[in-house]
Amino acid sequence: MNNAEHVVLDVRNLRKHFVLHTIDSRIVEALNGVSLKVSAGEHVALAGTSGAGKSSLLKSIYRTYKPSSGAVFLKLDDDSFVDLVSLTDSELATLRGTQIGYVSQFLRAQPRRSTFEIVTKAGIQRGMDSDTAKQAAAYSLQRLNLDEALWDVSASMLSGGEKQRVNLAAGTISPPRLLLLDEPVSALDPLNRESALELIGTLTDQGVAVLAVFHDMDAMERLASRVIVLRNGVVDYEGSPMETLARLEGVAR
Amino acid sequence: MTSVVSPEWVLKVNQLGKIFGNLSENGLALTGPEIGSSKDPATGAIVAAWDVSFEVAAGEALGVVGESGSGKSTVMRCIAGDQSSSAGSVQIRTSPDEQIDVLSLTPSERRQLRIDKIAVVYQDPAEGLDLNVTAGGNIASPLTAAGWRNFSSIRSRASELLLRTEVPLNRMDDVVKSFSGGMKQRVQLAKALANRPPIVLLDEPTTGLDASVAAGVLDLIRGLLEEFGLAAVVVSHDFSVIEMLTNRCIVLNHGRVVESALTDQLLEDPHHPYSQKLVSAARA
Amino acid sequence: MTTLLNKLIDDNESEQFGILDEYSKREIRRAVLTAVAVPGYQVPFGSREMPVARGWGSGGLQITLAVIGPNDIIKVIDQGDDQGVNAVNLRRLIVQSTKVSETTTAAKSSIVQSRHRIPEDGLDQRHILVLQVPVPEPLRGVERDMRELARMHAEADYSKMWVSLYEDKVRNGVITQTTGYPCLVNDRYVIATTPIPRWDIPKLDHSPFLTLFGAGREKRIYAVPPFTKVEPLTFEDVPFEVEKTEGATCSQCGSNSSFLVEIPGTQTRWVCSDTDWCERNLEGN
Repeated sequence: MNNAEHVVLDVRNLRKHFVLHTIDSRIVEALNGVSLKVSAGEHVALAGTSGAGKSSLLKSIYRTYKPSSGAVFLKLDDDSFVDLVSLTDSELATLRGTQIGYVSQFLRAQPRRSTFEIVTKAGIQRGMDSDTAKQAAAYSLQRLNLDEALWDVSASMLSGGEKQRVNLAAGTISPPRLLLLDEPVSALDPLNRESALELIGTLTDQGVAVLAVFHDMDAMERLASRVIVLRNGVVDYEGSPMETLARLEGVAR
Repeated sequence: MTSVVSPEWVLKVNQLGKIFGNLSENGLALTGPEIGSSKDPATGAIVAAWDVSFEVAAGEALGVVGESGSGKSTVMRCIAGDQSSSAGSVQIRTSPDEQIDVLSLTPSERRQLRIDKIAVVYQDPAEGLDLNVTAGGNIASPLTAAGWRNFSSIRSRASELLLRTEVPLNRMDDVVKSFSGGMKQRVQLAKALANRPPIVLLDEPTTGLDASVAAGVLDLIRGLLEEFGLAAVVVSHDFSVIEMLTNRCIVLNHGRVVESALTDQLLEDPHHPYSQKLVSAARA
Repeated sequence: MTTLLNKLIDDNESEQFGILDEYSKREIRRAVLTAVAVPGYQVPFGSREMPVARGWGSGGLQITLAVIGPNDIIKVIDQGDDQGVNAVNLRRLIVQSTKVSETTTAAKSSIVQSRHRIPEDGLDQRHILVLQVPVPEPLRGVERDMRELARMHAEADYSKMWVSLYEDKVRNGVITQTTGYPCLVNDRYVIATTPIPRWDIPKLDHSPFLTLFGAGREKRIYAVPPFTKVEPLTFEDVPFEVEKTEGATCSQCGSNSSFLVEIPGTQTRWVCSDTDWCERNLEGN
């Protein structure tokens, strides 16, 4: 599956150092030269201990963190590649809206508008017309078992698990080219977790390139076609879920 | 290289500068964030803003962040035409054929611009509204300035706007003076949108309101920005306002831009020492 | 000319023609000419001390005395009444200091000085109508800052005036302003038509006569030249209406087609405001 022709995301030697000016200009190294590729329809899971750089990598790709050096190539509709690191802020903002989905544990500050509106709005941003977006929003929310009684409720009133599902629904309303997931099911109970994982699986089948961080190995095992283990901000090793997870569990034991 | 389309700007500010007083020859070098002052030590002139550049597209909101005295409001007033500038240019483009160089306009032409091109929402309602006039009358002002002469059309447009900004219609004929702070800001928003301007400048639109009231007004502003595809500049010292309303930001310190970034990036990965100080203070 | 001027100035013994010295008259006439050239624009002038108190017609009086010549015939009214105290005093002052003839019939006059009315009939292109104005600034009620007022006129920014008309209509259901109704002159300047009632405003529009407005206390002169558009400000769907009381007729001449004023008393009575017109109407009957 990791076919060069289908590569959607090509991260090359990505570094991220923080300079903490408020704390004696201390330098914190988060990523020390990460290179990896994700193809269309491939689900790559990131693993590693906390502090290994998993979330930092996702944020550096999405550019919530501004990379210190390296490149993040993303394939566009016309098969050309664009380096996200070198785009202007407004170019990147456009690309985020249309091509890249990012679902984190937390719901970003949203106006107190209804859950349904938030998800619909995400669809419109991806280029859907209003009616299609409404249908898609209803479909996603149903798939994630979000009680219809909550659709009219302001998202800020929802529980952590409900918010997370709203987040997922918005991030996946139309399949993006690249989907970045940062512990997207951490707050969900087993039943809801199940339908969320199913939804993510469907997206991969639709050709979305997924790069994900999960807190549990079970999710990785079920969804990932490949696991990349990070350590101290570099790729330690990678392989099939079976072999890497066995190795990780071995370490854990 | 790229087939990424950068959205067309509607408002473009280029190397805008505003100096109060007479600057000495080295005045620019003797002021700024590195020096930690905007006051020329030789002449006492104040470099309120210098070399400020940014672009804003339709449907985009740019945040201007900084402490009081950083030059935020100066920049906004120069764009709005409330204040003349000392250097640089401000251009607005409302259609492919219409590009206006704001700073070269006469005061009268600038006033025209404020009728249907650039709207401003001020922190102090008294600056944006006539408090002794009814809510409807305040909205009638930009409408009549734009040539509306039909009483019932003005009434229905005003009610439409007040409805949209969530002002109870039974208060339409009350003088604004009698309104609560949050309600006054809603009337200001309705007035600002009266002639559907492509650009809106928001100067600390919720500062001074109670938290719960401010949240409601912010919700409304965010909805309006999206609904009308406005190009917006949001001046605020409050990161929750910036986070809620904007996609991109510039950080001003002693009149200069010290950082420009995507809003989420500024909040999670601020680079300049001043930005880091601001963000950590806001997070504390 | 110069000789005459010198003679007039030097000759302290002889009484001035029309109280004002020739230099003052010239200054006022220059202001009048500017006012005529820019219809509706308020021209500042060096208002003089007159033998009447400011606010009692000193502005109108100065204009009359600056434009009057020995062959003019003067009519002066207060409200529409030639016999009002103020009218009588001003007429006496003008006639004594100029020796011109006087009349109460508008058609026979050449200059009409008035405070509140335009005569019902008789004015044509031979006439100059001089109106005594207490408050020349139409925007006074909506803006106090002098510089802002100047800017608003300069830029023809009358939205505040429109807002005040809007507010009036909202609060009262109708536009209540009666005297001094704001009018747009020649599609450019808004003027205060103080102190005439709405009834007289249609007479100003494209009138054959020249109207000069003089405000002595405020030191302003403005004009509506003959055949100039004068348009009362009103909304398209709120028609401009003149004062009219349904069923009222003049208790003296029986007219119902003239501007009537109410006479206070136990029983409501109405009479023509224009007394000269009323008398002629009565004779005609």
